[in-house]
Amino acid sequence: MIELRDTTKVYVSGGEKVHAVDGVTLKVDDGEFVAVVGHSGSGKTTLVSIMGGLTRPSAGSVHVGGTDIWGLDNRGLARLRSEQIGFCFQFPSLISTLTCIDNVRLPASFARGETGSTEHALELLKTVEVSEKANAYPSELSGGQQRRVAIARALVNEPSIILADEPTGDLDEDTEEDIMELFTRVNGEGVTIVMVTHSHKLASRAARILTMDNGSVSENGSGADDSPGDGR
Amino acid sequence: MVGIDPETDFTVGPWLKNNLNGKLGRNEVILGSNAHIFFGKSESKVGDIETFYGNEFVVVGILEPTGLGLDDGGFITIEAAEELAQLSEITAERQLEIEPGQISTLMVKVDPQADRGDVARAIADAVPGIAVVSSKELMTTSVSRQLETMAPVLLLIGVGFWIIAVLLIGALFTMVVNERRRELGLLQAMGATRSFIFKQVMLESVQLTALGGAFGMAVGAVIILLLKSTVASSLGVEFQWPSAGFVVGFTLGYLVLAVATGVIAALYPAAVASRLEPYQAIRSGE
Repeated sequence: MIELRDTTKVYVSGGEKVHAVDGVTLKVDDGEFVAVVGHSGSGKTTLVSIMGGLTRPSAGSVHVGGTDIWGLDNRGLARLRSEQIGFCFQFPSLISTLTCIDNVRLPASFARGETGSTEHALELLKTVEVSEKANAYPSELSGGQQRRVAIARALVNEPSIILADEPTGDLDEDTEEDIMELFTRVNGEGVTIVMVTHSHKLASRAARILTMDNGSVSENGSGADDSPGDGR
Repeated sequence: MVGIDPETDFTVGPWLKNNLNGKLGRNEVILGSNAHIFFGKSESKVGDIETFYGNEFVVVGILEPTGLGLDDGGFITIEAAEELAQLSEITAERQLEIEPGQISTLMVKVDPQADRGDVARAIADAVPGIAVVSSKELMTTSVSRQLETMAPVLLLIGVGFWIIAVLLIGALFTMVVNERRRELGLLQAMGATRSFIFKQVMLESVQLTALGGAFGMAVGAVIILLLKSTVASSLGVEFQWPSAGFVVGFTLGYLVLAVATGVIAALYPAAVASRLEPYQAIRSGE
């Protein structure tokens, strides 16, 4: 379970304080598929990055599986990120100097201190239907293929949580649909998914929708805005 | 022209023993490597006859360059030198005023276990009115002194270049870290610890400086090989390779310095890289 307790993140922008996340308290149960929607700059990305231990909150706490993650030391936080959470970002996030299969194996080396299994990585690439590109470099892949590899990489350590920040950002509708099916399938296997999206169509695939507005979260918001988010 | 006693001399004595059975005749001369200039010739050869103070001498040997003033002169027997001085009244344009039995230098071979300074002081005390000079002081009057004067300057220049190298490598890796902020953030998102990021940057810096050091040494060795003759002739000495032990020690020391340079230069950028907040770093590449 992911639990945020009165969590706040304040940025200073142009000399003024901006409450990207403003006193948010929420729970995401194990195995849930939650979509976070909202206007551009409403704080969706910041919220997810705080949940994943990538951005330290200014106040409040975040509990993952009962552990206050921001109370962990650097090593503990790194272990949590490698073993319990898989990230999918809103931009191509593969390491350009590694082949696809090596990109997928990389998180396993952080989790277990040794190079990840080639067979397991290949199996995941088959799952996301890009196994034929295993030995290709990211620059040789289309945007959709890169996203699929990134999803395979997020799954390599068999995390209990996937945090996806606009994972279909600039993809065509067919690829978008394929990736959403992939998320649905993964969620069906018990993995908790929190997905940030500006699209209510995609959000409708989730079991639960959270709407963010000026750093605050409300349940089952309508989120009528379909404009691209700036990912604040 | 130096008059020597071939029986007791130990400067060119060993050469004499090896080449002329230890004997130097009345009209024979051993020339220094540059003595031909004195005779206005481009070179002197064994067998040539050279005239000095109206006396003819047969060249029986040419010495290798030493870098000392002896390269410009020659060696004859002490008897020949005394005779040369006496005859100079009638054979030379200007008479050599040297009394029979008068010597300018008496060379003393000191036991290797003895302290040269103590021996020098003992001789000075025992024979008033003479100047005692040790061989080290003798050497410092020539090439050795020149090199000793240049050494601190070269060291200073070397230290200056090293500081510049550290700053440049530090600046380079600061730029590398900035360029790769997204990648470093992604690595943290995948579970890399701060110490892993720190070590990664340090490792890359050390690899760069170790390779650079090895390349620099290889280039230096090639330059020495190509220019050794030029350097040796300009210094007036024979080129000699240092001992194998020195070469190995110098190579290892140089590589250790190169690695240390990489470590020192990358400390700041590695610390910056390891302290990046992951999501800010990831987003900086957008």
